[in-house]
Amino acid sequence: MVRFFLERDRVADLVKHLMERRTVYAPHRKGRRSFAFARTADPAAVVLDYPRTLHSVKKFFLPPREELLRFDLTDDTFAAGEPEPSGAAFLGVHSYDVAAVRRLDHNFSAGNAERNYLVRRQGAVFIGVGFEPDKFHFSGSVGIEPDDTAGCDAFLTKLLDGYVLEILTPTGRELLKGLELPPYEGNDPPAHPFQQHIYVPQSRLGRIMDKSYEHPVWAEASRTCVGCGTCNLVCPTCYCFDVQDHVDITATGGSRERTWDGCMLRGFSEVAGGEVFREGLPERQRHRVLRKFKYLSDTTGVPWCVGCGRCTAACPAGISIANIVNRLVGDAERTPVAPI
Amino acid sequence: MKLQDLINPAAAKELYLPVMAEIRDVRKLTELETLYTVALPGGAELGHQPGQFVAVSLFGVGEAPFSISSSPTRRGVFELGIRRVGMLTDVLAGCTAGRKIGIRGPFGRGIDVERFKGKDVLIVAGGIGLVPMRSMINYVLDRPGDFGRLIICYGSRSDRELLFTDELEKWRRNPNVDFRVTVDRGSPDWTGHTGVITTLIPGLNLDLDNLACCVCGPPVMYRFALLALRSRGVKEKDIWMSLERRMKCGVGKCGHCQINGSYVCQDGPVYHYPEIKALQEAL
Repeated sequence: MVRFFLERDRVADLVKHLMERRTVYAPHRKGRRSFAFARTADPAAVVLDYPRTLHSVKKFFLPPREELLRFDLTDDTFAAGEPEPSGAAFLGVHSYDVAAVRRLDHNFSAGNAERNYLVRRQGAVFIGVGFEPDKFHFSGSVGIEPDDTAGCDAFLTKLLDGYVLEILTPTGRELLKGLELPPYEGNDPPAHPFQQHIYVPQSRLGRIMDKSYEHPVWAEASRTCVGCGTCNLVCPTCYCFDVQDHVDITATGGSRERTWDGCMLRGFSEVAGGEVFREGLPERQRHRVLRKFKYLSDTTGVPWCVGCGRCTAACPAGISIANIVNRLVGDAERTPVAPI
Repeated sequence: MKLQDLINPAAAKELYLPVMAEIRDVRKLTELETLYTVALPGGAELGHQPGQFVAVSLFGVGEAPFSISSSPTRRGVFELGIRRVGMLTDVLAGCTAGRKIGIRGPFGRGIDVERFKGKDVLIVAGGIGLVPMRSMINYVLDRPGDFGRLIICYGSRSDRELLFTDELEKWRRNPNVDFRVTVDRGSPDWTGHTGVITTLIPGLNLDLDNLACCVCGPPVMYRFALLALRSRGVKEKDIWMSLERRMKCGVGKCGHCQINGSYVCQDGPVYHYPEIKALQEAL
């Protein structure tokens, strides 16, 4: 492990160094209160100290709208869509988002491996950054600490006057070669505590979820839910998609596109003829939460909620996934927990 | 289990690109349902199991999953029985022989015919559920030595909506087939059985120690069919069910068809009933 000291004034040098070698995506301000991963044009515009971006880096590997094929209506032929390998440097990614990419990698590699995702994912380099948990983050409760470097090629940890830059992989070393920095010989900076928690160790969560199917919490959470699907759209591990054809204005051809879809939307489970298999919001809420904490965990051994807090921060009704889980925990463990 | 590592894209297949097949024949079954005979390019075989499905697409309209209605024992072409209920099926209804359509598949887990071999086969089909079950029925009829008796219970809303009427007549006349049909509401000239499909089950002559049963029909039918079968003493382990869900990709990626943690397009559409018991949203 090689650690360097990156003085605050030299962060722009790091960004410039990366930009000379790769396309760089990093957090930028978007409006007054929001942040977004965007292609970096100006090193000074990069923000490394941010609570969370609206969307995770998922959008680069599984774009919100993606062409699967282009068809020609005049002769019924088609050409496959051509996803481009990323090859980009993702600077300033939080540990929970790298953990989410790891889960998406699983989804698109296991079973029927999907070329589109795998091509777009190719050559991506991650330079993580630590974060200070706000009232929505609870990744520590699902095993992902702010200074967790898993999956990163390099990692930045904030100090009062700059950052510790840790090189973690040969790719990271190669990419940062030539950036002259002094070694860091100080202590590990103290970790920031979480404000939000799931009140039970991960090892006990599985059994609690197994018994949660008929719990009143699903109906309670649905009293204020408007079924807008925002929680699905901002989730870094949600990967469900819809596929639709779009005809060009010339009416001679068009494209088959996939777009993000969400299990909180009524149409998600609707079949031709009008049958909806998860008609009620309680059923949909249960499906969403158990997908993250049970169904996918049962087969992969890890929670699929990474504790980023996006669904809760973005929910117009203020529904908190951590509070839902804690309500189940409270009842299962016979510990009083306030209603959500 | 653990997380699968990222694999090289070179090792990945194209999942979403169709093969351009051709409609060879179009036969109207009822006012709403049409039977399409489809040929793959170069005379390729679809290579399906009874109960599997394909994704059919028309460029510019869209793609949807449809059960395969023909038996794999009938080679060269395959058949799709399609009800006109939406955007894609509306356009399909206007298609004639020679039209090119996109096909992906076959997908899903069909009927595990090995577990039906040597046994009496009971098919319980409600409405358009006969379309996929016809694949199994003709499979059994084409391999008479492999199976015991074939018992078919078919229910329809009315006699005007009965599908494959010429074949129903053949099944009725076949001495090796116990064919029963009922309609919810018959027209004035209907002389057959009237009542919901479950009313056929009490009168069946069943060898409970040598039976395999497959049920397919509208969502409302499954619980009642199950109750009727169980009250006749049919064992849970002898029951299979073909389920419907929304599907987009057919390859376990798009998420639409999930019942709890099970992807119907991968683990189904044909489930062994003991498996469904653990899936609380299944029926």
